[in-house]
Amino acid sequence: MTDTFAADLDSYRTALRANLMRESSLHAWRTRHYATTEERIADHAALMGELYRQGWNRYGWPVAAGGAGGDERHRAVLYDELAAAGLPIPTPHLLLETLGPPVSRFAPELAARYLPAYLRGEEWWGQGFSEPEAGSDLASLRCRARRDGDNYVLSGQKLWTSHGATATRLVCLVRTGTPESRHRGLSMIMVDVDTPGVSRRPIALASGDNELAEVFFDDAIVPASRLIGAEGQGWAIAMYLLQYERAMYAWMSAADALRRLRELRDQLSTRLAAGGTLPGAAAQRLGQCYSQLITLRARSAQTVRRLAAGATVGPEASVDKVLLGGAEIALYDLSRDLLGPEFVFDDTATVAQWRSEWWYSRSATILGGSAEVQRTIIADHVLGLPKEATV
Amino acid sequence: MTSAVTGFDAATIELLATSLREVFTAHPDAQGVAAALDELGWDEVSASDPAAATTLLFTEHGRALAISRLLDDIVLRELTPALPAGTGNRAVLYCHPQHALLLGPLDDITELVTLDGAGNVGIIAAESVSARPIRGFDPGSGWLCIDEIPTARPLLVGDAGQRAVAAARRALCAEIIGICTTALDSAVAHTTSRIQYGRQLATFQAVRHRLAESYVAVEAARAALAAAWADGGVWTARLAKLRAGQAQAELMRHTVQLFGAMGLSQEHELHRRVTRAAALDLLLGGHTAQADEVGAALLAGADLIRVVEI
Repeated sequence: MTDTFAADLDSYRTALRANLMRESSLHAWRTRHYATTEERIADHAALMGELYRQGWNRYGWPVAAGGAGGDERHRAVLYDELAAAGLPIPTPHLLLETLGPPVSRFAPELAARYLPAYLRGEEWWGQGFSEPEAGSDLASLRCRARRDGDNYVLSGQKLWTSHGATATRLVCLVRTGTPESRHRGLSMIMVDVDTPGVSRRPIALASGDNELAEVFFDDAIVPASRLIGAEGQGWAIAMYLLQYERAMYAWMSAADALRRLRELRDQLSTRLAAGGTLPGAAAQRLGQCYSQLITLRARSAQTVRRLAAGATVGPEASVDKVLLGGAEIALYDLSRDLLGPEFVFDDTATVAQWRSEWWYSRSATILGGSAEVQRTIIADHVLGLPKEATV
Repeated sequence: MTSAVTGFDAATIELLATSLREVFTAHPDAQGVAAALDELGWDEVSASDPAAATTLLFTEHGRALAISRLLDDIVLRELTPALPAGTGNRAVLYCHPQHALLLGPLDDITELVTLDGAGNVGIIAAESVSARPIRGFDPGSGWLCIDEIPTARPLLVGDAGQRAVAAARRALCAEIIGICTTALDSAVAHTTSRIQYGRQLATFQAVRHRLAESYVAVEAARAALAAAWADGGVWTARLAKLRAGQAQAELMRHTVQLFGAMGLSQEHELHRRVTRAAALDLLLGGHTAQADEVGAALLAGADLIRVVEI
């Protein structure tokens, strides 16, 4: 391990690839299935610990925050090489990719304090944005943070918080302005889940997996030093965050999806080799889905390179998000249709994972701003259409 | 809209695009286009950045719904070094399972170089065939069809045949993208200016989302084409052609709907874009056939290569 990796992406990629293939301590993660989300996150966090110990997942993060330097491209390469080596992208990396950049950028002291533990898999964070009355409509948030001396007092509720039930900390978007202030009166703050007055309840998805949670704040006292950026800057930071949620998340998901498509193809080839048959149009849909994933990679790579160059990726990141949603839905519908009765009736761990991911794939067009919101962003800000009429 | 490939800076691209637009507007026939491009010094432009130049040339060709043999030039540039020396003019005969197509008349052509989607190449004498104009979905293409093809002497050209198919597919992607871009621009303009129920059509969410989806489809095709150029291979050119074909199918479905009955009329220009894009989709393999072939290859064990690296 040398610092040349931070400056030389290709040498990082080559060394990483060789290591992932060679390292026998990682092999166990290739074939594991999990009965619960909690079990999966904990085991994936252990994989992060292993990657951190060897240094690989530190590239792309600031040295001051436990990283080893480099930029977004290093992270993109890590996800890609993990997937190519048949390894999962550790679940906690999903929210690290969304929350890590804004915390590093707007609260470097918090990043220095807590990000190293995140990279080691010792803790992970949840994203507290959505509320009962505010899903994609973020400007309607009501969860209050009232300034009281050196603290904020939080009261209200968050909903659909990814990994919220197991996270150590929550990065929340809260209202510090008046209820009418819409996007101007928002702030972002990091809350420890063991703060008195914070309680949470897992929400089981239809698959039975506790992917999400609801979180209640009952006059929870949070130090003002936990603010990310300045008071009232929440919306701007959320927009900064969304670049990553839309672009890096798309790249990461595409890497995982390509691994899953390869596994689906292998399952189907095995069936064919055993004399089985496939439903009509199977080949066409497989080819179609593969081309969608490659196209998503092509688009997403351009965006990742722009982020790495320090450019602001504006509303055009919604194109990446729409392509991701389409590709994920197509992949998992394909798994359901081609696995057929096996998908619906069988009880093996392999099929249970397809089912669970099928449900989770439905969220690709909901979380992070629904597919409808993305299309509206493109209509407004990319195509420059006249504003939608309001009722 | 930017080029799929950014070898030139934005100002140069705009300048070149404007010049090409003038060429295609002023010269509706193939000979005129070739001469005007010579005068423009297009060979030099092309030599300095083949990917960007080819993409620009064919995008503008598509936007103008131009008719020419520029695609033959792309194919022959790859094939000529591998072909026996010829004495006269050559044109390309694009062979498909049911149709063999020529992009223009046989007037001054002495030899036809046959090429199919698998990259098989042959040569036949032009005088040995009779060509009839196509009066199908896209009567404006100026293409011709040959019903009976004498057996061509198969030629061993190494991988030149495949490279020619890949190069032609990349050019076709750009042309399809060009057509889609103008169709989308016109749909945006139409829905922004037309008033129904007292408001602009483009203020209705159902309309806005169709336009957004159309935009995403074109951008996806553009990204796939850029990846195909960066990689230069046969597999990626096929994937790009698949996406471009898919994009025109989706985008034309949306735009035809958005123009209402106007878009179905002879006097409106939209139908010309619909039919040309459909014809170009089928040239060297339509998107459903491509998806079939890619999927069959994967089921037969082909590696799911990542194509794009960071």
